[in-house]
Amino acid sequence: MAILELHNLKKYFATQKAVDDISLSIEKGHIYGLLGPNGAGKTTLIRMITGIFFPDEGNIVLDGKKFDPMNDIIHLGYMPEERGLYKKMKIGEQALYLAQLKGLSKSDAMARIKEWFVKLEMQSWWNKKVEDLSKGMSQKLQFVITVLHEPKLIILDEPFSGLDPINSNLIKDEIYKLAQRGSTIIFSTHRMEQVEEICDNIALVNKGKKILDGSVKKIKQDFKENLFCIGMEHIPPSMNGEAPYEMLETKEEQSIIRIKEGQNPNDVLKYLIQQGALITSFNEILPTLNDIFIRLVEGTPSARQFHSN
Amino acid sequence: MHKIFLIIKREYLTRVRKKTFIITTLLFPLLYIGLVFGTGFLADKTRANLNVAVIDSSGFFTKELLDKQNTLDNSSTLTLVKNNSSEKEFNYDSAGFDAYLVIPALDWQIGNSNIELRAKKSYGPGSTALIDAKLNRVWDEIKNDSLKIDSTKQQILLSSRLGIHFTNITDPKANAKFANSIGLACGFLIYFIILIYGSQVMMGVMEEKTNRIAEIIVSSVKPFQMMLGKIIGIALVALTQFLLWIAFVFIIYNITKVSGNGNSVNSLVGGVQQIFTSINLPMILFCFGFYFLAGFFFYSSIYGAVGSAVNEDVREAQSLSFPITMLIIISIVMMSAAVNDPTGPIAFWGSIIPFSSPIVMMARIPYGVPGTVPWWQLGLSMALLIGGFIFTTWFAGKIYRTGILMYGKKPSWKELIKWAFRKS
Repeated sequence: MAILELHNLKKYFATQKAVDDISLSIEKGHIYGLLGPNGAGKTTLIRMITGIFFPDEGNIVLDGKKFDPMNDIIHLGYMPEERGLYKKMKIGEQALYLAQLKGLSKSDAMARIKEWFVKLEMQSWWNKKVEDLSKGMSQKLQFVITVLHEPKLIILDEPFSGLDPINSNLIKDEIYKLAQRGSTIIFSTHRMEQVEEICDNIALVNKGKKILDGSVKKIKQDFKENLFCIGMEHIPPSMNGEAPYEMLETKEEQSIIRIKEGQNPNDVLKYLIQQGALITSFNEILPTLNDIFIRLVEGTPSARQFHSN
Repeated sequence: MHKIFLIIKREYLTRVRKKTFIITTLLFPLLYIGLVFGTGFLADKTRANLNVAVIDSSGFFTKELLDKQNTLDNSSTLTLVKNNSSEKEFNYDSAGFDAYLVIPALDWQIGNSNIELRAKKSYGPGSTALIDAKLNRVWDEIKNDSLKIDSTKQQILLSSRLGIHFTNITDPKANAKFANSIGLACGFLIYFIILIYGSQVMMGVMEEKTNRIAEIIVSSVKPFQMMLGKIIGIALVALTQFLLWIAFVFIIYNITKVSGNGNSVNSLVGGVQQIFTSINLPMILFCFGFYFLAGFFFYSSIYGAVGSAVNEDVREAQSLSFPITMLIIISIVMMSAAVNDPTGPIAFWGSIIPFSSPIVMMARIPYGVPGTVPWWQLGLSMALLIGGFIFTTWFAGKIYRTGILMYGKKPSWKELIKWAFRKS
């Protein structure tokens, strides 16, 4: 069941079409990657989902009902790309304040903050001020504040920037756990390797339009180029056009080939064995999201154009 | 509603707990008293006592008359020197004088005469006025002698005077003398509160914007609630500070009453007490509360909008808030006119138009309601001010919503107005 559906969302600003007719559907419990170059319209899209902006056109359906920012806001957790906290406020008080603003009662908020602080080893921070924290530490605090009220839908904008690998993994594990417990997570980034690792589904946005969406697996299949990496000894000498593949590159005993149209890996292996090659490995090369991303985004003129000039 | 209460609580507590709040609360009254007494003291110090030579060609001025006045009043000394008035270039400084007076031949019965006080450098009016007064006292004595008016007759001439005491027949409590000073004090207090706390609202909004916490908060509450919470929280801080000052006065008054000495503080507080009993205190307090809060809302919401529109640069904020500050300063100028002529056109219009009414109306009210300020004027002024602050908060809320998430170039007022009237 889809927890969030966007139907033909549009948001035009005076000088640009920030979001231009985007539709999406996000399943409950999934981790959804929202990708796009800088200025693609991701932040505007997220601000509409979080009720900060009203869409010019289109509608948002949250959990089967039309999105009502006034009441549904408590079911959302949003961690903006630009992190922000009151610098002079004590960490405990700050977390308590922001949790109460999300609608938690004081005692409830207190209990959950303590639980999270223990989980992320932040207990000793309670009376410190934000200005005394390192960037990574305040990032952790920001994450706790975002998820404290157990929102149905969590939107994280670049959650790992500025975190060391240990803390990154800590947060990543918590994201998985939240998804297992039924929260849906939208993960906005332009760091592709993280998306491949974490996300089930992705959407790629560029210049205010969605140019691609689907499961990570399927997208990779769709964009594969029938490339294989073969490791073999006794490379067969002559290829003269008969082979069911094209040799693209050979380095030591590894070759990269592209299987010709209408042939399959079995044909290739059969052919090679006939030629007397000794095959040590045979792997399909799937494109990385990074490749796909660059392929789709590149060639379009600069990511964001102002249509007034 | 609950959320706005949370915001108010945070804004209030973080400010009241700050050391600067405690310090300014304690320091402001001291500073104020220092200012009042300090200027008097300084004015006294800037008066130079001069040693003045008197060159008399009229023959009226004698050494005895001058010496008599010199002993009565030791501010400046007048000394008769030999009658050589033709010699304009009197070498006064070598004779040990600061200046010299040249008195020409005078007719004591008619006309005013100009006497020249000559010196190589200039003296301020504070110094020359004293010499003027002293010389005229001598002159009076000369005239009295010539008219054969003895000291008893002089006494009668000087002491028996007619004094006018103004009574407002619709409001006998409206004492014009106190009304003037109370009007000024109320007007200035509102002026200070709007300026100081208005810019606190602006700085607070700027802080939230530059700390980038605004986006987190607006994903929990509406921007309008966020702005209103801040304004109300800061208004409460101002109110707290104000009540503390009243409490100080009350405590000092009671302490000095118990100690029972007729010292200066006691007489000062006693004077305050006398003022309080001689005016319509409930009316003034009610109106002060109203105009203080309404005026604060009127201006601070615009200050908040300015804070939301600019980035961390304080100079940007200053240049954008300059027109607002200007309006407040114009109001205080209008107030000083209104306090002297509380029924004149400046007072009337100034106390009706919302931007100046919080300050100007407070200068008029101590003169009496409904005597000086008819009920309809007070009602109209209040209604317009309420309408005014509802408009400015609405207007500011619109700007705020756009501005708080907007980074980049500082917008102009024209752009801000465009934001306000744009459809969401």
